[in-house]
Amino acid sequence: MVRFILIRLLQSVIALVGIAMLIFILVRVSGDPALMLATATSTTEDIQQIRVNLGLDKSIPEQFWIFVSDVLKGDLGESLFKKKPVTGMIGAALPNSLKLIIPSWGIAMLGALLLGVLGATRRDGLLDNGVKFVAILGQALPGFWVAIVAVYFFSVRWQLLPTSSMGGIDHYVLPVFTLAFFLLPGMMRLVRSSMMDILDSEYIMLARIKGLPERIIIWKHALRNALIAPLTVAGMLFAMMITGAVVIETVFSWPGIGWILVEGVLARDFPLVQAITIMVAVLVLGINLLVDITYAYIDPRIRYQQT
Amino acid sequence: MQEKDSDSEITTNPVVSNLSRRTRILRKLTFIVPVTVLSLIILMAIFADLAWLGFPDVRLSPYDPVKMSLPDRLTPPFWAEGGSTEHILGTDKMGRDILSRLIFGARISISVSLLVIAITAAVGTILGILGGYLGGRTEAFLMRITDISMAFPPILVAMLLCVSMGPSFVTVVLAISLLGWAPYARLIRGEALRIREEDFIAQARIIGTSPLRTMVRHIFPNIINPLIIVMTLQIGLLIITEATLSFLGVGIPPPAPSWGNMVNDGRNLVDTAWWISTFPGVAIALVVMSGNFFGDWLRDKLDPRLRQL
Repeated sequence: MVRFILIRLLQSVIALVGIAMLIFILVRVSGDPALMLATATSTTEDIQQIRVNLGLDKSIPEQFWIFVSDVLKGDLGESLFKKKPVTGMIGAALPNSLKLIIPSWGIAMLGALLLGVLGATRRDGLLDNGVKFVAILGQALPGFWVAIVAVYFFSVRWQLLPTSSMGGIDHYVLPVFTLAFFLLPGMMRLVRSSMMDILDSEYIMLARIKGLPERIIIWKHALRNALIAPLTVAGMLFAMMITGAVVIETVFSWPGIGWILVEGVLARDFPLVQAITIMVAVLVLGINLLVDITYAYIDPRIRYQQT
Repeated sequence: MQEKDSDSEITTNPVVSNLSRRTRILRKLTFIVPVTVLSLIILMAIFADLAWLGFPDVRLSPYDPVKMSLPDRLTPPFWAEGGSTEHILGTDKMGRDILSRLIFGARISISVSLLVIAITAAVGTILGILGGYLGGRTEAFLMRITDISMAFPPILVAMLLCVSMGPSFVTVVLAISLLGWAPYARLIRGEALRIREEDFIAQARIIGTSPLRTMVRHIFPNIINPLIIVMTLQIGLLIITEATLSFLGVGIPPPAPSWGNMVNDGRNLVDTAWWISTFPGVAIALVVMSGNFFGDWLRDKLDPRLRQL
């Protein structure tokens, strides 16, 4: 097991270097970041000065080396427009994002489990069709549009809730629920299909033959195994969550990571965008690593097969 | 191929015949309606104007989608108070005709999606077959990259590219494609793994077929069905991704109409001019739903094993 974890850890580090290289290349695709910082009045000397400040006058391998060593030191540079270290900006925005993501996540997960299980046990019944309909609708309606429509009805028309920004508990209702609605359909479909597979399996049949009450079979025996399903797509769910947070924070002017990211992109603040991307990359690799280790722990076959 | 088709018929037919009349009609409808909607949208995208045939003045849309007309600004749709049939779906804050922008927006959404599907399906299929057929280190390495790519939010790559290259059609296609091959690679690799164990592959190997030829001539034809299913199911996802990017200002740059940036145009005007954001939102939902229904239908028809997709 230790050997397995070490190998996986090494692979993750290699992957991280690969991603860093990719980010480095992507940011420099256009050739010269100095040109996009230059204003209409910049002279050639100004541009040269920007280039020196950013270290762009050095050779590409040298630039990459500086970039990697800075990242390893935790120095992700300074925002070009706010003139503050980006790590500080991210640190200030992260708690706001978490305050939004965690409750949404909880609501979506609970809803997905409840609806997914009910849908699977009453296959093709009225409730199941309702659940399927919500899933279809939820996957087809763009999250940003749903959020805008919700703002229109709840804030503008009925004046029940504030339209945007952070504040008291009432400021949380719209963003949290729209984000949950964004996350719910995918999770629900997953729980429903894995529940359906499990309910057809032999050990559930055995539990039925044993005469266990249906309630215990479904909510204890089957659900416990169906809960593993979201683990297989933990990575995908994470990607969805980031996308959702970016969109919802933008619509509600919520001062989290997603919001500063969009602001950063519109201002072409590449150190900031680069830093957030690297942070997400580290999280992605971390999640993958955790999922792999959990799996290897649950299923020893994986451990031996892949080392 | 031949054998596989008859196989899936055997598994689906008894099921179908057991269903009630109502369900059967419903099932037919879930095919007819989406296909009609998708065909109409694609025709709309193609014939939005005929500039590409050399007739710049022949247009399906009533107006030029980027032509501003400030006196007509914020005209509501024709059935609402103050609306006129001159602008059936109304105008935006710069007096541009919403219907015309929707029609031209279809062209952008459809062409981004089709381009991305072509690129990602090709890359994903090649990597998937290589991984599944060759196995070993190649497979382990490819699957690692696939896992990471699937967990990486495409929106971030798009933003990164947008910062360096600036928003454009090419940036959007490139950004979505950069990670979009992963679902294909994962599925195709699984299929290739399964097919690799079949007798006809062993027979091909015995008569000395080269690995490359085996992959192209023997594995590839057998993965066409799942490939087509994923390609169709991707339509909806891609339309939403493009719209989201354009909405955030990192997709198709204005004034070119994209359904996403149209929703953004009307974002701060929902209380006074609801129609600006509403119609493009409905258009997105309609196409995505049609794409998903069509994909589901195709999957049930071609390969019911893939229900998990």
